[in-house]
Amino acid sequence: MTQAKISGEEIAAVLPTVSATIADALGCDVEEVKPDASLIDDLDAESIDFLDMVFRLERAFKVKIPRGKIVENARGTLTEAEFEQNGIVTDVGLAQLKEYLSEVPAERFKTPTKVKDIPRLFTTTTFAKLVIAAQREAG
Amino acid sequence: MADHFAAFSFVDRITEHEPGRRARGRYVVPADIAAFPPCLVAEAVGQLAAWVSMAHIGFRGRPVAALANETRFRSDVLPGNTLELAVEIESCDEHAVAYAGRASVDGAEAIELVDCLGPMLPVEEFDSPAALAARFELILADGAPPGRFHGVDAPRVTRTTGSAGASASASLLVPESAPFFGDHFPRRPVFPATLLLDAQIRFALEVAVDAMQWPADTRPVPSRMTHVKMRSFIPPGATLVIDAELAPRATEATLKLSARMNDKTVATARLEVVARKRENARAYQ
Repeated sequence: MTQAKISGEEIAAVLPTVSATIADALGCDVEEVKPDASLIDDLDAESIDFLDMVFRLERAFKVKIPRGKIVENARGTLTEAEFEQNGIVTDVGLAQLKEYLSEVPAERFKTPTKVKDIPRLFTTTTFAKLVIAAQREAG
Repeated sequence: MADHFAAFSFVDRITEHEPGRRARGRYVVPADIAAFPPCLVAEAVGQLAAWVSMAHIGFRGRPVAALANETRFRSDVLPGNTLELAVEIESCDEHAVAYAGRASVDGAEAIELVDCLGPMLPVEEFDSPAALAARFELILADGAPPGRFHGVDAPRVTRTTGSAGASASASLLVPESAPFFGDHFPRRPVFPATLLLDAQIRFALEVAVDAMQWPADTRPVPSRMTHVKMRSFIPPGATLVIDAELAPRATEATLKLSARMNDKTVATARLEVVARKRENARAYQ
């Protein structure tokens, strides 16, 4: 996601379509797709669902969302070695991750945080922010 | 390796190729096989997209069936027909290929695939990169000799619940061995998603026939399949539970389809079926 702050108004503008798109991809009721729902823990999404959601969001918003780079983007300007050591997110990495995923309640960040568990943190709002970032990218 | 590029390969020749963007190809359906179901027509379109995408990334990765947002079934393909294949690649990189495509016979569209996405996996896990590259050169140049496909036996499907209700389950036994495993894929045999979908469609049609009154001289046929999502590879010898849940609407119906392996959902899809005159519904007689 871009470093420029994404406002609540921007998120509110895209959230209904994002929620409906996620519900369609997961075959669940849109009411279940709450803004802070963990896509994995609350909605049972798997890796193929993430691919599906990104694919559908690209069509719904006519944007390009880089696949396979969400976790990489979470690193921001940190190098891989600064962000993680042996699959565990470093302290500085965790601070960066919390800033990147500012919509995720603090209690969901585990200590230590494994890199492979980062997608567990993703919420509906995370994907709304991805869409907004892609819209900004497209100008 | 007699089955490699024979037992489950459905592109004989690539007739037009714009690298990474689009292609046209051809496949002659052998005249001596019993049938060539619509799912194999879809497989042929997907294989053409796979060739274009693998070539585009230097045969480092190969796409696997994962998402097909919409498949429109237009008309049947018969043994002896020549399939004209066309694909448009929307995007292709090391992660995935997104594409759309169609197959026609004598100018009449047989099937159309819209919004398909296949994640790329390391090609070495499935096949020899060198063999794939050589095959691509062959079908791009002179073309491969036709007639090497000898049909596939449908997997054994046994209904376990529901006889005339709106939902039913069945067990599906994936064979331990079959020629297509030598082609799909030589280094890692996987039950083809399109064969699973074909079995699911046949089961869904049975459920629709049993649960609904169809106009005289008609039978249900698939018109559209949406939300196809393959979640896991299915190995040889697997036992699956397939479910079909029907929502009837006058002379058509929608069915939710799923397949489970060891209690885990491995595939989901939605199918729309419509009534068609029996003489025009040969693929699923």
